[in-house]
Amino acid sequence: MKPPIARTLGQSTQTEETRRAPRSFAPETLTAVETEPPIFDTLVSDAIEPAPSIRRMSLWARLAWGTGAFLVSLGLALAAERLIRDLFARYEVLGWAGLAALALFVMALAILIGREVIALRRLRNLHALRNRGTDALAGNDLAEGRAVLRELETIYAARPDLARPRETLGRDAGDLLDGAEIIRLAERRLMAPLDRRARALTAASARRVALVTAVSPRALVDIAFVVYESVRLGGAIARLYGARPGFLGSWRLFGAVLGHLAVTGGLAASDGLVEQLVGHGLAAKLSKRLGEGVVNGLMTVRVGIAAIRVVRPLAFETERQPVVREFLPELANVAAKVE
Amino acid sequence: MARLPTTFGDEIGIALGNLADAATGTLTPTIRLGVTGLSRAGKTIFITALVHNLLTGGRLPAFGPLAEGRFIGARLAEYPDAAIPRFAYEQHLAALTGRSPVWPESTRRISQLRLVLRFQSTKLLSGLRGTSTLNLDIVDYPGEWLLDLPLLGLDYAQWSAQALERARRPVSRDEAAPFLNALAAIDPLTDATDVAAEGLAGAFTSYLRASREDGRALSSLPPGRFLLPGDLEGSPALTFAPLPPPAGRVRHTSLYAMLERRYNAYKDVVVRPFFRDHFARLDRQVVLVDALRALNAGPDAVADLETALTEILGCFRQGQTNPFMRLVARRIDRILFAATKADHLHHTSHDRLEAILNRLLASSARRARFAGVEIRSLAIAAIRATREGTMQEGGETLPCIIGTPMPGERLGGTRYDGATEIALFPGDLPEDPDSALQPDGGVHLNFLKFMPPGSLERNAEGAAVLPHIRFDRALNFLIGDRLQ
Repeated sequence: MKPPIARTLGQSTQTEETRRAPRSFAPETLTAVETEPPIFDTLVSDAIEPAPSIRRMSLWARLAWGTGAFLVSLGLALAAERLIRDLFARYEVLGWAGLAALALFVMALAILIGREVIALRRLRNLHALRNRGTDALAGNDLAEGRAVLRELETIYAARPDLARPRETLGRDAGDLLDGAEIIRLAERRLMAPLDRRARALTAASARRVALVTAVSPRALVDIAFVVYESVRLGGAIARLYGARPGFLGSWRLFGAVLGHLAVTGGLAASDGLVEQLVGHGLAAKLSKRLGEGVVNGLMTVRVGIAAIRVVRPLAFETERQPVVREFLPELANVAAKVE
Repeated sequence: MARLPTTFGDEIGIALGNLADAATGTLTPTIRLGVTGLSRAGKTIFITALVHNLLTGGRLPAFGPLAEGRFIGARLAEYPDAAIPRFAYEQHLAALTGRSPVWPESTRRISQLRLVLRFQSTKLLSGLRGTSTLNLDIVDYPGEWLLDLPLLGLDYAQWSAQALERARRPVSRDEAAPFLNALAAIDPLTDATDVAAEGLAGAFTSYLRASREDGRALSSLPPGRFLLPGDLEGSPALTFAPLPPPAGRVRHTSLYAMLERRYNAYKDVVVRPFFRDHFARLDRQVVLVDALRALNAGPDAVADLETALTEILGCFRQGQTNPFMRLVARRIDRILFAATKADHLHHTSHDRLEAILNRLLASSARRARFAGVEIRSLAIAAIRATREGTMQEGGETLPCIIGTPMPGERLGGTRYDGATEIALFPGDLPEDPDSALQPDGGVHLNFLKFMPPGSLERNAEGAAVLPHIRFDRALNFLIGDRLQ
């Protein structure tokens, strides 16, 4: 047996706590009245279901795309240059006209690309905002909560449908001294109405898909329609939550939605097997086309839910997350009508 | 606690009462909210703010049922017990919202109130029935009386020993001297006379009142009715005093035996009915603690507050029960520990205030948590009397609060007149809550009392909107789950 040993590790670094004495002042001596809120350590809760992320491309992928695009644009520039030169060689007037058209084309292209870049950034900002909101919620951080609230207010500043919630939210949040409460309040006031409309959009899309599938003559037609409707639904939901994605943004968004569907297997945590059985079993018993309609409708619902989870700027905390089950009655109605 | 605070007969009464409640409660359930707090902790303000906010649908963004739009409204109803005065909500509100607002006067008698809450349930079955109702019963009482609850578990000899030990502490030497002298001049084993008993009780009462008015805010000064007798003043049950343990055999006619009988009568006639009627059948409890006043007064007062709260909270029935047992035995299943008057501090200090509160109530919280009670602690202000700001002073930025101090409040050499608005930096709270309990805890703190908020905002219906700090979270914790 070894005897106990103690070893000094150096002087203890404990210092005297400095505490300040009470003082009072006449209000005229105040320089600033607005208080700067404290900075707490932010906690990241791992209990919260990881929200789907919009990933950046890897280095090699970016290199490949970048160099490829560079080469293609070089080729295009060369072709354009030759075209203009040829035009000038034929008639000078034609050359000038071609040059003007080219200039306009380049300008329009630059503006389009700029808008796409901004749209992409907006999409990423929404994602970052959700992470910040989750942190503020977990760490009850007042400064972060207020910052998230300001961001939300700028995102929705131009939205006439949210004017009143914005107004009451700004007024009530001023009284709150807890970061978590501010986030919860923002979710209740701003997200709840948007959630309702996103649900309605999803339900409408699912109904359309179910109907088209049930009556379409060819399998190819309904596959095309499902894809078309899914892209449209994703875009509509993103616009609703303030993401306004452009062409590239929609593409990126659709990728994120598909990725999310792949990760979750298309099932939210609270969805059971019932939904699966309804489509495959029961409805298929009634009619094959009808069963397929319901299955395709459910697929669209999943896309809608995934899109909501990808673009919503706050994680689901006070509001109920949409689940596949709540859309079933809608689809059943469509099925009944078709019958 | 060595013995139960109630007798067997009381227990049967309590069980029957619960059974009757369960029978009537099938239609409209009742929730009894115990607002617990020593005197000047802010019980009356808490209840007034609660009633007003629920009646007018106040600005409570963190109160779930209201934020979700399920809370329809509330109204005042007649309290089933006809013998007890109604809580004077209208008078208190008028005092707070009048032209020159004042805080309500200190509570001198018991009063009750029933609030009927109407809401739409989210539960499937209740939702089908349309709107649901819930009765919320609240009792207001002088905080001094709460000090009596621990006496239910003590007999005369035990209580005497405690009270004398407290009187002989160096802190209370000046106030206790006349009583201790009177005690020394008396032989407890002589035949009892009313004159001797009254003289001794008088000296004891003056000592208790003197040490309370001394301002060092000693909290544990039972019996509470000696401080605030109500309508029992001068009755034999209030005419006793602690005596040292008798040296010889105690005869039936001796002074000691007489005072012991009166002490027991006090417990039976005064304390036990108070406990049985108002505290034995609670569902929810909020413990209001004015930690700032104790911190103002120093470590002795803080330690005293801790003792008093621990002893008082030991009397309550806490824990979870199953639905069948709830028919006869109700228990407190949620407790909110609230450090009141958080508006006297800048919000950057609120978490330190909560830490001190948690330190003060550590043993009570452990006991409650063991019983399966859900606990939360918050720094709240039911009515917020100040605003916040910062000031530059000698190169450092101090977080401060802006408000009008009560007339007579002092800081340093200045005495305030109740009309000047000031910006106050009340000193840093200690980072380590233990240091608030140690003598010579460093910097002296000075929290001033502030006048109620001057001009209140009105909502669309013209009702005053009471500003608050975290009051909505407190409400949500206390009754939010019953409005699901």
